[in-house]
Amino acid sequence: MKNRLIGFAFFLALLLVLGFLWGCSPATQRTTASPMEITDQLGRTVKLDKVPQRIISLAPSNTEVLFALGLADRIVAVTDYCDYPPEAKQKPKIGGFSNPNIESIIALSPDLILAASIHEKGVIPQLEEKELTVFALTPKTMDEIQQAITLVGSITGKEKEAAALVDDMKKRIKAITDKTSGLTALRRPRAMYLVWHDPLMTAGAKTLQDELIAKAGGLNIAQGLTDYAKISLEAVIQADPEVMIAGVGHGSGEDLTFQFLNTESRLKDTAARRNNRVFGVDANQVSRPGPRAVAALEELAKFIHPELFPGAK
Amino acid sequence: MSTPPANILPLRLTRGHNRIYAIVILCLLLLGIGGVAIAIGSVKIPFGTTFAILFSRLPLVDFTPNWSGGLSTIVLDIRLPRIILAGLVGAALATAGATYQGLFRNPLADPYLIGVAQGASLGAVTGFLLPSGWLGPEMVPLLAFIGALGGTAIVYGLARVGKTLPMTTLILAGVAVGALLGSIVSYLIISSGEKLHGIIFWLMGSFSLSRWSEVQVVLPYVLAGIALLILYARPLNVMQLDEEQAQQLGINVERLKLILLAAATLITAAAVSFVGTIGFVGIIIPHAVRLIWGPDYRFLLPLSVLAGAIFLIAADLMARTIATPEEIPIGVITALCGAPFFLYLLRRKKKVLF
Repeated sequence: MKNRLIGFAFFLALLLVLGFLWGCSPATQRTTASPMEITDQLGRTVKLDKVPQRIISLAPSNTEVLFALGLADRIVAVTDYCDYPPEAKQKPKIGGFSNPNIESIIALSPDLILAASIHEKGVIPQLEEKELTVFALTPKTMDEIQQAITLVGSITGKEKEAAALVDDMKKRIKAITDKTSGLTALRRPRAMYLVWHDPLMTAGAKTLQDELIAKAGGLNIAQGLTDYAKISLEAVIQADPEVMIAGVGHGSGEDLTFQFLNTESRLKDTAARRNNRVFGVDANQVSRPGPRAVAALEELAKFIHPELFPGAK
Repeated sequence: MSTPPANILPLRLTRGHNRIYAIVILCLLLLGIGGVAIAIGSVKIPFGTTFAILFSRLPLVDFTPNWSGGLSTIVLDIRLPRIILAGLVGAALATAGATYQGLFRNPLADPYLIGVAQGASLGAVTGFLLPSGWLGPEMVPLLAFIGALGGTAIVYGLARVGKTLPMTTLILAGVAVGALLGSIVSYLIISSGEKLHGIIFWLMGSFSLSRWSEVQVVLPYVLAGIALLILYARPLNVMQLDEEQAQQLGINVERLKLILLAAATLITAAAVSFVGTIGFVGIIIPHAVRLIWGPDYRFLLPLSVLAGAIFLIAADLMARTIATPEEIPIGVITALCGAPFFLYLLRRKKKVLF
């Protein structure tokens, strides 16, 4: 009986080890031409028979990753919201971000569709039913962005480009955090990233903006909240942010949120307004979990610590 | 005008004293809830400080300020205008609801019955979608106001038959035009992209950014409209018979209908233009008042003014404190708290509404 148990345990252990090796091997050992199985960021196992040549991106951040890896000529379609790099606007469109048009996707017969977390419940099952290859990228942090880039690199045969891009991001992030990670709470200015002004919404914990503020050496006043969270005007006044940041330049187009920070009379006594420290940052850089998040980090660092990172506008 | 005999009007006028007391009590309650609402918020300010800040603005009172400018901004420029606006909107919606219910002699009537809400929504959504450079930040409330009046004007124009305005036709035209405008709004919402969130929040109603300039705009419309409606309480009582009898009693029914509709629509439009189409107040408050104090419009209207204001101030207080520092759309609170309370009243009284 005992022997049997030991034997069973050994068998289980062997299974685990084999499973582990089997799970790891494709990413590390494959050649670009052979079929591969790879796990996407939703934990789905995706089979790829060959290197994809007709790619559809269902998210602006995915489009940016594809272009950054030099895959422009393999993209057959993107969403209406994909506007960076400018060439992305020339690509055929398959509809919105949250509600892409399934028929147009099928009509383009893609061999790889890069989806996002928003598509998990509705769009991905629908596309899988049509036996299309869907790979989901759901980065929320700087680490996950780098992971997403590496994943796209390995499924498209652009490992080298991906490694170079990730390496560059790591270096640029380190250049910032080397100077900011040692700062005590007292030397971290209270900062707020305003997502929308009516209703007031800030970026709380577990958002990319929260991570960017922390890495840039600030103290997010909304770190007690999670995700994009509504906040009351009086809570903002009470927290008295020293730096206020809003996205500008895209999407909402008219920079209403940035204007709000600059003109709302009841914010005039905040430290940020008194010291003229209200900043606009490219809305797409700061909110898209793509390669340009690093550029947003560099901007925020200049806003929050001009003494460490000179050159702010 | 002499009091009509009791066998003609179903009014229990002997209870007049009760209802005068009720007005006094509701006034005190309004002051009380206002006091609570100004002292509570996502930022904790001691009661003493709150009222010192408040009273320091009165003439003849001389406090040495020992509070920061931020606290004074919170009490005087965030909470106070917000409470006053909530009170005004609640009063307007409840009074308009009571008027519509009387005018249509229909218990399901509410201020949004004949196109106001859908018109306002269409205006507001258009305002959200247009580039903001056009008219600046006031574009949404302005277009909502125009939309609200426009929606009702269309319904009114469609329902007119010669020189008369049959109430059934008005309701049906209201339902049809409302559905039409509503479908346009739905289409605009799904194609609104990233502005979706702001639009949805507006539609559910919110006082989160209420400011003095909004109070200044809304106040004259609402006060004038309510005063006018209260002046017409007696003819509105007579209208509860039927239109022919009211005519025989010397009331110019068509003119009365036009005046009441115009006043009620105007205050509703002013109320929703800044804060969104807050539901439930306009239908439930007049019924609650009617269930407790009877259907005499001379009391029903002023009591609705007070009860509506109290209800919406309390609802807004809950909206901004329950999930602090987040704010819940007020429409969620009005329906969530209003409906059970109303059902309780309905079961307790167990009498017909009209």
